[in-house]
Amino acid sequence: MSEPLLDVVDLHVGFRIFEGYLSVLNGVQLSVGVGERVGLVGETGCGKTTTVKSILRVLPMPPAKVTDGQILYRGQDVLRMRRRRVQALRRHELSAIFQDPLQSLNPVFTIGTQLRDIVKDSAIGQGRRLPRRVIEARCIEALRETGMPDPERIMTNYPIQLSGGMRQRVCIAQALSTHAKLLLADEPTTNLDVTIQDQILRKLDELVDEHGSSVVMITHSMGVVRDLTQRANTMYAGSIVETGETKQLLEGPKHPYTQGLMASVPKLTGEGISEGIPGRIPNYLDPPPGCRFHPRCVHRMEACSAELPSLFEIGGGHRAACYLYGGEA
Amino acid sequence: MTAKQILMIENLVKHFPTKRGVVRAVDDISLHVSSGDTVGLVGESGSGKTTTAQCVVGIYPPTSGQISFDGSPIDVAFSRRSKELKGKIRIVFQDPGSSLNPKRTIKQILSVPLKVHGIGTPKERLSLMSHLLETVELPPGEYLYKHPQSIGGGEKQMVAIARALATNPRFVVLDEPTSALDVSVQGKIINLLMRLGDELDLTYLFITHDLSLMRNVATRVAIMYLGKLCEVARTEEFFRSPKHPYTRMLLSSIPVVTRQEESLKPEKIVSKGEIPSPVDVPPGCSFHLRCPERKGICSEADPETRAMDDGRLVRCHLYEHGAAKAGG
Repeated sequence: MSEPLLDVVDLHVGFRIFEGYLSVLNGVQLSVGVGERVGLVGETGCGKTTTVKSILRVLPMPPAKVTDGQILYRGQDVLRMRRRRVQALRRHELSAIFQDPLQSLNPVFTIGTQLRDIVKDSAIGQGRRLPRRVIEARCIEALRETGMPDPERIMTNYPIQLSGGMRQRVCIAQALSTHAKLLLADEPTTNLDVTIQDQILRKLDELVDEHGSSVVMITHSMGVVRDLTQRANTMYAGSIVETGETKQLLEGPKHPYTQGLMASVPKLTGEGISEGIPGRIPNYLDPPPGCRFHPRCVHRMEACSAELPSLFEIGGGHRAACYLYGGEA
Repeated sequence: MTAKQILMIENLVKHFPTKRGVVRAVDDISLHVSSGDTVGLVGESGSGKTTTAQCVVGIYPPTSGQISFDGSPIDVAFSRRSKELKGKIRIVFQDPGSSLNPKRTIKQILSVPLKVHGIGTPKERLSLMSHLLETVELPPGEYLYKHPQSIGGGEKQMVAIARALATNPRFVVLDEPTSALDVSVQGKIINLLMRLGDELDLTYLFITHDLSLMRNVATRVAIMYLGKLCEVARTEEFFRSPKHPYTRMLLSSIPVVTRQEESLKPEKIVSKGEIPSPVDVPPGCSFHLRCPERKGICSEADPETRAMDDGRLVRCHLYEHGAAKAGG
């Protein structure tokens, strides 16, 4: 693989709160190549959103604190960049879609005002001032691209006047209007119905193809990952536990956690539903030592509680952080 | 069918008058539930599935139509229902975080239905509550004196289930009981519900938007769209050959995880449009605006529900002739 566009190396992020120190991200490894689509799957509270926010550098610090690791974007560490440089990066290179469009859109401005601002400021950042006509045309074009009917009217609407699916389309239009190189999509369709989800994802897929962006698709739905990504990562309690090509990962999950997740997904074949994974995600105030999954794992060994396993190669780029696959102590 | 019909919904209508017009949340649906069945009521948000359930439980009195439970009509306001009836039909809500009082302990939460329904003497209640917790596989010693916020989402939902079971119900409405939970927790809850259904001989009305889940738990599936039922069929047949275009659109939109499942999905129907507002329902068939197979008649006349020869009910103009022939 050529030089990755984004390379998250051993990222540790924690939050200092009244009760103590929450160590949330525990050595996240994630790399995204140019034009590649990468999925990140995991349950609620496993640190998916914290990872995205760290990459965008929008985590409030304090209480958040990056204790270790690097986030390399085109070889430069985002965490050590000057503020202006980060802003420029966010303006042209990175773009994000969040789960709840009602929270990412400002309720007191029209869709038009918000979209125009983005297009205008993005151009100013590149040292160009666009005439109003051009800005307007670009906004309408961006909305039309997302399959929005009657974009001229939508421009004058407020977010509450739109349905959930429409709002999410606006967010996609915003995210793609600047032709970002890397799109971070944080559960963009979790709140939507399946038919709407299908439409939105299909549109997103087309647009990303057209613009040639790289995508990090964060979701808790294995099905979405299967449809949209080339490589997939499973995340559990703050670290990546398995990574590989989406096909490999879904057809032959290796890490016990991924296996458990796959078995828990209700299937159309109607073979019944597995009991799921016993227990729940650990408390970050006092996470279990070693592999954080070991208290819930059926294959646990002595080594598991001693040290966090690194990602062991299984073959063909498929790697799992589990002592079942190497590193016998 | 040999099993007896426990719940009959006939021409149920529930309208809510608002300033902007009448919201036709439930618009003339009929559904029969046999004893011991698990009926999955599936639809998008805003299709009226929760309103239907709430009419059954008695939260709303229906605008018109009949609901009868065990042969006797129950379409009266909640305050006029007998206590016995309220104990027989129970509901589990979607979000256990907001349906359990955060300031009370689990013991206090569970004691309410026991007190209201006068089950057991005050002394016996403690052992009854422990027993309830045991039924939902939570060790009572550990959980009785905890508050909801100190336990996980899945455990909260189990407490909510225990509370619903406190009055020995015969019919339980499950209003999206697992959609707020992660898949790894969902499995446990679903298996628990299914086991309890067998052991305690419960009948479920399972409301959800997850068709894959219904494939695994429901005995019959009913698809709802904009206040109306599109298709009702036994699970096996339903998934083998979905008939209504909306059903096929729903099924083909589900993201699946294995190749085997992919082959079970109907041919891809590109979904388009969104569910219209229930304030101004389109004329004719309410689905015609999004339907890939619409004909001239669809925008003029609302199709009638037809029974196909395998007992399935479909409400679509496509099947009017076929069904008429088959039905004789």
